[in-house]
Amino acid sequence: MINSILRYGLIFIILMLLQVLLFNNIEFSGYVNPYIYIMFILLLPCEISSWMLLIIAFFTGLTVDLFCGSPGMHASATVLAGFVRPHVMRLISPRDGYEPGSDPSMIIYGFKWFLIYTLIIVLIHHTALFYLEVFRLTDFFRTLLRVILSSLFSVTFIILLEYTRKGK
Amino acid sequence: MRNLLNFLAKYNNLIIFLILEGIALYLLSTGNNYHNTRVVKGMRGITRGVEQRINNTKSYFRLKEINQELAAENTSLKSTLENLKNKEDLLFFSVSDTVYRQQYTYSLARVIDNSVNKQKNFFTINKGGKHGLSVDMAVTSAEGIAGVIVGCSENFSVVMSLLNLDFRISARIKSNGYFGSLNWDGRNYKYAVLSEIPQHVPVSVGDTIETTGFSAIFPEGIIIGTVSDFENPGGDFYKIEVLLNADFKRLHFVNVIGNMQKAEQLQLENTFQ
Repeated sequence: MINSILRYGLIFIILMLLQVLLFNNIEFSGYVNPYIYIMFILLLPCEISSWMLLIIAFFTGLTVDLFCGSPGMHASATVLAGFVRPHVMRLISPRDGYEPGSDPSMIIYGFKWFLIYTLIIVLIHHTALFYLEVFRLTDFFRTLLRVILSSLFSVTFIILLEYTRKGK
Repeated sequence: MRNLLNFLAKYNNLIIFLILEGIALYLLSTGNNYHNTRVVKGMRGITRGVEQRINNTKSYFRLKEINQELAAENTSLKSTLENLKNKEDLLFFSVSDTVYRQQYTYSLARVIDNSVNKQKNFFTINKGGKHGLSVDMAVTSAEGIAGVIVGCSENFSVVMSLLNLDFRISARIKSNGYFGSLNWDGRNYKYAVLSEIPQHVPVSVGDTIETTGFSAIFPEGIIIGTVSDFENPGGDFYKIEVLLNADFKRLHFVNVIGNMQKAEQLQLENTFQ
């Protein structure tokens, strides 16, 4: 128990540092802003209770908000991601269900499952985030393009990070 | 009562979700002037240290560039000074009041946190109320306008960057004086859009765009950029694309400009409007 709290604490810190020091500073263009911290929500144990997930998601988002100077924006998108996670997991559950006590990781459930899982949640998170950021529906399709491009980059980075995690 | 408890037990996730989402959206809705929200103001103090450290490292790598920029600005200031010295009328009165006829105050600040990749960009500078800065003061870089202060604490100020969908400024074409409204369209950090210039006005690529000074925030005649493209979207007005003079990605030292006569101007204007 203590061990897994420490492990998740470490993952949280690493992801936050990556997000704040590296990914927030990528100024490739206004269209590509990867937000990889959402990976923390993806990696939480399969059997975590929903309310716990929501509260963790809220504080994860709030931490990013502090560094981005945008109160509530990341928090609300991340809470939404935390809310849909159990539903997404039920929707795409493997044939013989989830192993008790496991994390949703690539080693256990395979690349394809992990890709679909990541893609759905990242898309939902980024859609909420980018539309909340502009907070208007003018230029609807331009925001949509930003959502899609940023999601592609986020998913790619998350998959890469998952590979390095697997190596350890 | 039991029904209520059953209901709560059944939908507890939805309820927690709605509560948390409500808190987040509340924070967001007060977000446009978030510097005033107490909670966030307190918590920003923690992250500020990290930001400053990141920025110190970054600026170390750019020392050479920064030196060159400062040297260039120095030279241009020296030549302006030389011009002023040679003006004859200056020789004929001695001024004991140091703010005689002075309308604007200038002070230098350093940008410690900046972004260009969001839709609503803000940056933070390392001076605040203690140094005489206040909300609604203009911020310019050596090359052109940069933003307007929207929040001040003791030692820091948060500036709404020109690269913010909510930013609007009155601007004019230098060669003929026609004025319109300039804002950022959220696409590219190098370009802004000047609208409300009527069709009959001659516009050409390369024209200089500068501030008008109508708003009592920016002094008159500060350069914003040059016309890079213009089109006629139908209707009576041009849509002019302006290449910004200031490079927001490299914003480092900025001048904060306060208007000493602003209160007087606004008060007078309010009595007639």
